[in-house]
Amino acid sequence: MGLDLRSLADEEVIQLVRRGDARAFEVIYERHSPAAFSLAYRMMGTRAGAEDVTQDAFLSMWRSGARYDRARGSVRTWVLGIVHHRAIDALRRVMVHDRRRTGDEGIEERFESEVRTDVEAARREEAGTVRVALESLPSDQSQVIELAYFGGFTHTEIADMLDAPVGTVKGRMRLGLKKMRAQLGEGRVAV
Amino acid sequence: MSGHEHWADSAGAYVLEAMPPDEREAFEAHLTTCAACREEVEELRPAAAALPMASPPMLPPPGLKDRIMAEVEREASLVAQPGEGADRPRPRRRARLTMLTGWRLAPVAAGLLIAGVLVGAMVGRGAGSHSVEASVMVPGASAEVRVDGDQGTLVAARLPAPPRGRVYEIWVMSKGSKAPRPTSVLFVPRGDGSAVAAIPGDVSDVHQVLVTDEPRGGSESPTGRLLVSATMS
Repeated sequence: MGLDLRSLADEEVIQLVRRGDARAFEVIYERHSPAAFSLAYRMMGTRAGAEDVTQDAFLSMWRSGARYDRARGSVRTWVLGIVHHRAIDALRRVMVHDRRRTGDEGIEERFESEVRTDVEAARREEAGTVRVALESLPSDQSQVIELAYFGGFTHTEIADMLDAPVGTVKGRMRLGLKKMRAQLGEGRVAV
Repeated sequence: MSGHEHWADSAGAYVLEAMPPDEREAFEAHLTTCAACREEVEELRPAAAALPMASPPMLPPPGLKDRIMAEVEREASLVAQPGEGADRPRPRRRARLTMLTGWRLAPVAAGLLIAGVLVGAMVGRGAGSHSVEASVMVPGASAEVRVDGDQGTLVAARLPAPPRGRVYEIWVMSKGSKAPRPTSVLFVPRGDGSAVAAIPGDVSDVHQVLVTDEPRGGSESPTGRLLVSATMS
């Protein structure tokens, strides 16, 4: 009798979230919170920080009425973009010298999500492709990309850190992303 | 400084969110006139969007979902309330001028205090639940705090979108306190100007609930324009 929300595509579920449907929002949370939390943890370096960022990001999606624009990519890309924004905002509120990129928990607590469905298996494979693409870049390019994207540092902060001109840092970012883009295209990652 | 030469190499920093806010804004202005930079941004954006996949996969703790869904369901129940229009605060019953004291109002906010609508009325007081009508500094907009036991929820209607690059932040001022305390609630109204946001913590000791516009990540003390003020007691 009731609509099986879990059988709907993300884009359809989002329409219901926009109308204030909490159950639809729960479906979006269930589908995307592992990736969201993983990104938040990678950026914040602590479980508490990752929980705060994930919570703030999902509540802001809910409160803004899921202002998702299909033309700008998948729902997953949209969700992760909001998490990324929130984590950067949180990191930039902290003084640079107070930042710690190391986690507050041992590796044994970094429990990995299980592979339960074909979709998750495909995502796991794509994740491997992205990691290879990033790792295969010259280290000076992967370094600035990781510092910017996961560390939340601006190009000028990175230039200071590496004692390199800002133009050089920007050039490495651009070149590294260009190479990644080419490699991901070949690997048919859904980007 | 808007020529393409100046911005060559900038697309990567832009899609990685590695530009300081001022530069980001200037680059976005440049993008409106430079097809080459727009193309490059579109080319590089998918690579940046794929980066989260390089994070080691982890499961969020189950308690996180419970916390988020508790807030969502509380807010959804207000949106779905039958009758007066859940996302529309009730009409004001009376108005009285009130002074906001004890915290630094931005100059713009002070101006708005004079020009704006200042209302502070308590309505619908019932057993354990009641609503406190808020002053909203924008003509045509309205807001109230719905209190149920020690939980409060801000419900607003016809709010304008915050200025570019900013969000609204909820602040609470405890009884006897002279400075507002930031909450974790940052929000942007829905397309129709409505907003429903649960106020974290116990509101029984809260004297005022305030909303200002702040930079995207929120502030530790108010820096922006005062938009909403509700005097709880």
